[in-house]
Amino acid sequence: MKRSELKRTLAGLLGPTQPEVGCDECFDRLDEYVELEVAGRDADAALPGLRAHLAGCPACREEHESLHALVGGEQA
Amino acid sequence: MSAGAATVHRALVRPLENPAAPALSLDPESREWLRDLRAEGASRDEAVDRLHALLLRAARFEVNRRRAGLPHLRGNELDEIALEAADDALMSVLGRLDDFRGASRFTTWVYKFALLEAAVKLRKRAWQGHEVPLEPETWGLFASASPGPDTEAEQGELLVAVRSAIAEALTPHQRNVLVALALNGVPIDVLAERLGTTRGALYKTLHDARQKLRRHLEERGVSLESWLEEGS
Repeated sequence: MKRSELKRTLAGLLGPTQPEVGCDECFDRLDEYVELEVAGRDADAALPGLRAHLAGCPACREEHESLHALVGGEQA
Repeated sequence: MSAGAATVHRALVRPLENPAAPALSLDPESREWLRDLRAEGASRDEAVDRLHALLLRAARFEVNRRRAGLPHLRGNELDEIALEAADDALMSVLGRLDDFRGASRFTTWVYKFALLEAAVKLRKRAWQGHEVPLEPETWGLFASASPGPDTEAEQGELLVAVRSAIAEALTPHQRNVLVALALNGVPIDVLAERLGTTRGALYKTLHDARQKLRRHLEERGVSLESWLEEGS
């Protein structure tokens, strides 16, 4: 196993070290988070725990990427 | 439990502040959407049609982003998934209109419902007919990796320690969930459906399993940070 592969696997097994919200709360606040990001504001300060959850949850991460791309594309 | 683990645990179950705060000042477009969707008769019908078109646009956006990973699905099947996602999202949005607080624009708020529905349907379709691997035999590379001529001894020791921790520190349910999600790449909503539970409940199980695993390794003096550092 390559070191980069091991690192990815370990990160998936151990999850984020920072405090995080759960999937339901992530979904509830995702629209607000993305608009802050797209506006160039500090989304992580406004909604602590969301960034860590996105790092630990691939499904929520996919949905965040899509919403960011959709909203960001509209405002570009 | 270390102080750090306790903080993380509490943070997972504690809602962010003000989730049910009174509606913020709405922008004019969002106010118009709410007014029309709460109207009666033709005005509401027309607003619902506009909303469905918006949701369908978002669902198609998601399908197009993911279609490269679904080469076995034909164009008409992808169109059907997008339409079903828009239909389901419409029901969700209309049923949760009172939850809209104005923290974002109304259109951003509704998009996330369509993206979620489309993403969940695509992940489920990708795993349709596939067995969901839960057993230790399916740990793949991670289970089979062992110190060999080309493998650092340090890496081999780490793999042995992690495999032991997974076997010893977790309940059978935690082990199944961790192996499926973190090692075998099963999407969380696919696993939730197969196990008859929810995505939120499964993530809580995953979170608890991760904390136990990390704690078990740290108590045995296994240094994890050097393996997880950026650029390592």
